[in-house]
Amino acid sequence: MKRYALLLILVALAGPLVLAQAPSTAAAPAKPAVAITDADLKNIDTPKPDVRAKGDPDGGLTGTVSDVAVSDAKKGLSIGDLANQVGQNKIAVNFVWTLITGFLVMFMQAGFAIVETGLCRAKNANHTMMMNFMVYGAGMLAYWLIGFSIQMGGVGAVANLGGTPPLSAEHTFNLFGKPFGIFGEHGLFLTQAGTYDVGVMVLFLFQMVFMDTALTIVTGSAAERWKYAAFLVSSFVMGAFTYPLFANWAWGGGWLANLGANFGLGKGYCDFAGSGVVHAVGGLTALALSMIIGPRIGKYTRKGVPNAIIGHDIVLVLTGCFILAFGWFGFNPGSTLGASGNGNLRIGSIAVNTMLAGMAGGFGSMFYMWMRYGKPDASMSGNGLLAGLVAITAPSGFVNSVGAVIIGLVAGVLVCLSVEFIDRKMKVDDPVGAISVHGTNGLWGVISVGLFADGKSNYGGSWNGVNGSVTGLFYGDASQLVAQLIGVVTLIGFVFTFSFVVNLIIDAVVGQRVSAKAELEGLDLPEMGQLGYPEFELKARPVGVQ
Amino acid sequence: MILVGILITFLGFLLAVLSLGMTVSIGGRMIMVLIGLTVSLIGIIGVLNRAFLKNAIWRR
Repeated sequence: MKRYALLLILVALAGPLVLAQAPSTAAAPAKPAVAITDADLKNIDTPKPDVRAKGDPDGGLTGTVSDVAVSDAKKGLSIGDLANQVGQNKIAVNFVWTLITGFLVMFMQAGFAIVETGLCRAKNANHTMMMNFMVYGAGMLAYWLIGFSIQMGGVGAVANLGGTPPLSAEHTFNLFGKPFGIFGEHGLFLTQAGTYDVGVMVLFLFQMVFMDTALTIVTGSAAERWKYAAFLVSSFVMGAFTYPLFANWAWGGGWLANLGANFGLGKGYCDFAGSGVVHAVGGLTALALSMIIGPRIGKYTRKGVPNAIIGHDIVLVLTGCFILAFGWFGFNPGSTLGASGNGNLRIGSIAVNTMLAGMAGGFGSMFYMWMRYGKPDASMSGNGLLAGLVAITAPSGFVNSVGAVIIGLVAGVLVCLSVEFIDRKMKVDDPVGAISVHGTNGLWGVISVGLFADGKSNYGGSWNGVNGSVTGLFYGDASQLVAQLIGVVTLIGFVFTFSFVVNLIIDAVVGQRVSAKAELEGLDLPEMGQLGYPEFELKARPVGVQ
Repeated sequence: MILVGILITFLGFLLAVLSLGMTVSIGGRMIMVLIGLTVSLIGIIGVLNRAFLKNAIWRR
């Protein structure tokens, strides 16, 4: 009897212990779901008018059920009204996000303007500023007329912006049994084919400022010798055709984006915010034009040895770099085209990647120059920061922070090596280093997606119509690297060639280069009719003297 | 020489596109794309740039 009593006591004591170690997995009986009806919505408390009239210092009374739009005043608030309000709020958040980040990117034009002007001589300040100022208008007009249509006319539904259904016509042809998207057909003048649409307008603004960024890269490499009329024509053509064509292939539903869906290459060509689309297109066009236009007088000796031609204001240069770094927070995080839904909360990670890679690039350049030449060169440190930012632009949405720092650091060193190669070996004169910053590092950014994408991003479960996350070689998908390399060869083999031919034609028709007399005098008076610094007496300094 | 340079640069691009139809192997495509990349770079650096350097302003 004693045994049974002890056993009972043990069981009684052990019972709770067992429960504590292994909680029962049996689910508690589910409470019956309570259906919310329209009648319930009418019973929600709202602040009384007399209370509301006293103000709302802590914000607790502002933004209530009474602010929800009612579709039928007689019926009152319904569940349908609430659901519509939720949907509109999501799209509104995305609209505001995309517009504000677009405004930040627009402000980058100011950064480019003062970086380029500071790196040029004072006698060309007005001319360089005016190119950066008017490239905004020339590009915008071309893009509104036809560029946007070519780029985005067949992109289809952009879910983050409410669908954009009018952008539904992509011109394709069949190659190897698969459709190859070449250019879009809807959206001319932002009115054709139903494109007078709020979502389309937001998309246009954001894409337009990206296009203008690509255009303004070229003004730097051709500065101090580019004929203003030729600049206008060249920029117009680039905004209308060169940029939109490649942007369509990468972002507008074209053949590069579909390399994954059609040929099993990863998730297709992936360029989150435009290392390739914006920066490499700008940098390679800059290379094509700089080769055609030739170096500035005095840049090379008769034996081909390069002289340093020092810019006139390093304060402008580094201030401009800071403005650009600030604007890049619009460039990369804004490229989600939304902050709500579809994995868009990754904007925090994208912003952090952007700032880390930028500063890693600055450090990479500074230490390289310090070790190689004995001083931490200021302008190259600035270019290193920009190189890091350029390189992280494509992978910013797909990599982790360690990948971002490595990408930025490599970019910082790469920009120095590239400047040396282009200046000394190729003997192509690039007064601001635009070809190296944007061209070389734009290509590096595209390749780095194929190496460092960690497979953790999830933007609605797929990318470019292929399920899963973008994953690079170091995380197990070699095919993504092949897709990226095809993008790189397209940039070098097609975009460069296209830009080269276009600018050769402009050279034959308009003439790309100013006269030697105008160049020696400085372009401000001969080309613009006004000096940038009229109250200063400008004295020529022998080139090569720092 | 400029025309030759343009054609060689463009040929590199065509090789990369052709890789899509000629093989389904990742390695095969990678090799063809890298050959295309090399050809394009030769077109720009080796042919086009040299053609312009022959008549460069600093030689005159």
